[in-house]
Amino acid sequence: MKTLLGLTVANLKGLTRDRAALFWTFFFPVMFVLLFGVLFSGSSTTKITVGFVDQDNSQASMGLRNVFAQVPLLKLQDGTLDDEKAAMQHGDISAIIVIPSGLEAAVAKAEGHPSAAIELFTDPAQTQTTQVVQGAVAQIANGFNLALAGGSEVVAVNQMTLTSTNISTVTYLVPSILAMALMQLGVFAAVPLVQQREKGILKRMGATPLPRWKLVASNILLRLIVAAVDTVLIIGIGILVFNVQMVGNLAAAAGFVFLGAGAFLALGFMLASFLKTEEQATGVVQVVQMPLMFLSGIFFPFDFMPDFLRSVARLLPLTYLGDGLRQTMVNGTQVAPLATDAAILGGWLVVCLIVSARKFSWD
Amino acid sequence: MTQSREPVIRVSGLKKFYGDVKAVDGVSFEVGRGEVFGMLGPNGAGKTTTIEVLEGLRPPDSGTVEVFGLDVCKHPESIKQRIGVQLQSVSLYPRLTVTELLDLFGSFFKHSVPTAQLIDAVDLGERAKARSMNLSGGQQQRLSIALALVNDPELVFLDEPTTGLDPQGRRSLWDLVKGLQARGKSVMLTTHYMEEAAELCDRVAIMDHGHILEMGAVPELIGRRFKERAVFFDSTPKLPVEQMGKLGGVTRAAQEDGQTVLYSRDVADTIGALLAMADGLNVDPHNLGIRQATLEDVFLDLTGRALRD
Repeated sequence: MKTLLGLTVANLKGLTRDRAALFWTFFFPVMFVLLFGVLFSGSSTTKITVGFVDQDNSQASMGLRNVFAQVPLLKLQDGTLDDEKAAMQHGDISAIIVIPSGLEAAVAKAEGHPSAAIELFTDPAQTQTTQVVQGAVAQIANGFNLALAGGSEVVAVNQMTLTSTNISTVTYLVPSILAMALMQLGVFAAVPLVQQREKGILKRMGATPLPRWKLVASNILLRLIVAAVDTVLIIGIGILVFNVQMVGNLAAAAGFVFLGAGAFLALGFMLASFLKTEEQATGVVQVVQMPLMFLSGIFFPFDFMPDFLRSVARLLPLTYLGDGLRQTMVNGTQVAPLATDAAILGGWLVVCLIVSARKFSWD
Repeated sequence: MTQSREPVIRVSGLKKFYGDVKAVDGVSFEVGRGEVFGMLGPNGAGKTTTIEVLEGLRPPDSGTVEVFGLDVCKHPESIKQRIGVQLQSVSLYPRLTVTELLDLFGSFFKHSVPTAQLIDAVDLGERAKARSMNLSGGQQQRLSIALALVNDPELVFLDEPTTGLDPQGRRSLWDLVKGLQARGKSVMLTTHYMEEAAELCDRVAIMDHGHILEMGAVPELIGRRFKERAVFFDSTPKLPVEQMGKLGGVTRAAQEDGQTVLYSRDVADTIGALLAMADGLNVDPHNLGIRQATLEDVFLDLTGRALRD
């Protein structure tokens, strides 16, 4: 245990004293979050499309609709509840206002107690939009009460939640950037390994009684530490700077962080098994990570991709890491069920490790 | 320490092939306790492969290889606890300091020498906090020797320890090796410098193309082949080497590194005859000199080519 820790600390020192490595492992993902955050956090100032479901079809409900339509920030889209829910899950609209049947009747015999309720569906993961819509609906309900019943509360607002997809928010991007960072830290691990082999460091270690598994374990430990730091940095900036809310299952998210880091680290080991020189490694690592980044759909929703791209993305492990993180961190809509995400990442992990174990050469 | 009569290294019929390349093709030798044993040969002779098999870094294809009486294939771990290894031109974790590297390597062994003592032994005190990437070539080489001594080994392997060093660096490294021997360590080293082998080694094996051509103490190796001394001068086409054999006292004539070398039983006779011949041809042999035969001559005699090419 002492040797393992010593070796890990040595590797950690090697990393933290290497400015280029520091940049790629820590500052690059942070830069990404900041850049994307600034680019996309402005999108909520445009009009928010809200589904409007009128189940009462009365004068009162028509009146309400007119009032809502006058709110400058809101754009109404009429439809049935089922249609609107589907649209919201798809990310086309941000909230749904439901005027239940019987509203007019209830208001007519209002006695001062809340006797009818407007239902409002919002997505808690989309903080800004949700706040705007909730505020608007509450104000209108108040005004309605004031006009109809002299201030006594006859119409209440029932807050409901529904998860939606919104492509242009930081919320969507934080898990994506985290997935990217985890992929990079794993794949980039090939470079120092090849370097250490080329320089004879691995061979020199082989001439000591240090068991090889400890050499491997310390490498894994180092990368998992980096993964944890990256995760804290990226999520921290998301929360502190861009007010992103983590609403998912954080334990499962942590599981995906480590599974993802492990799978891509195994991929890094596998690459290192086939690469001979440091120059080769730096080149090939870029060739591998670039398409992973841009073809796996972590930065744009799966549904928006052309068919052929989608089938490419379905082959790439990063798609499933992004999907797993998005589902567990912000309740994003899924590309595949969580179990499938985990199984595919686990499969990559196992296959890459087996290939590495067979092909990796120490000198 | 119990002195055993058992040799520290025993190699018999060692073969190691890489595809069609017979890197080591049937090599046998022993190294006694407290001995400094040198393997001499040009690049590609099979020295490094042999030493790496002994260090447990490569499995032999055939033959028996024992260190401390233990089979290297069966007991690599316990052998590695007791040997010190310096590999050919290794740069270590570039961003760790001398102290950090020695501490790290010390942690791999059951017993280790205090780092300060090691730094002292290789005279790196002023650079103890320097990162290994910032050390000079000689300092890096001394560091890698210190790393080889971190477990106070009984047997130290040095693979071309002075390659790439300036003469001063080479001298200070030689002193280190002599110090090891004085402390009763066994040392096996490879080199392609004749003077290094002559200076440091109790016994030398001359290796070429995967074979040991000759083995023994340096004076013995020279004496076995050369009863003569050597007369040498800068080669010139006017004094063709083919005609030199006829001169008085000359047993054999050869050309190496731009010099014509005449091995002679009677130097006075040979020089007289040479100068008379030169006079007759109106040439003046440049850099004329006399020396004892060296390992270099032995190697040339054995292989027909100079060691450093």
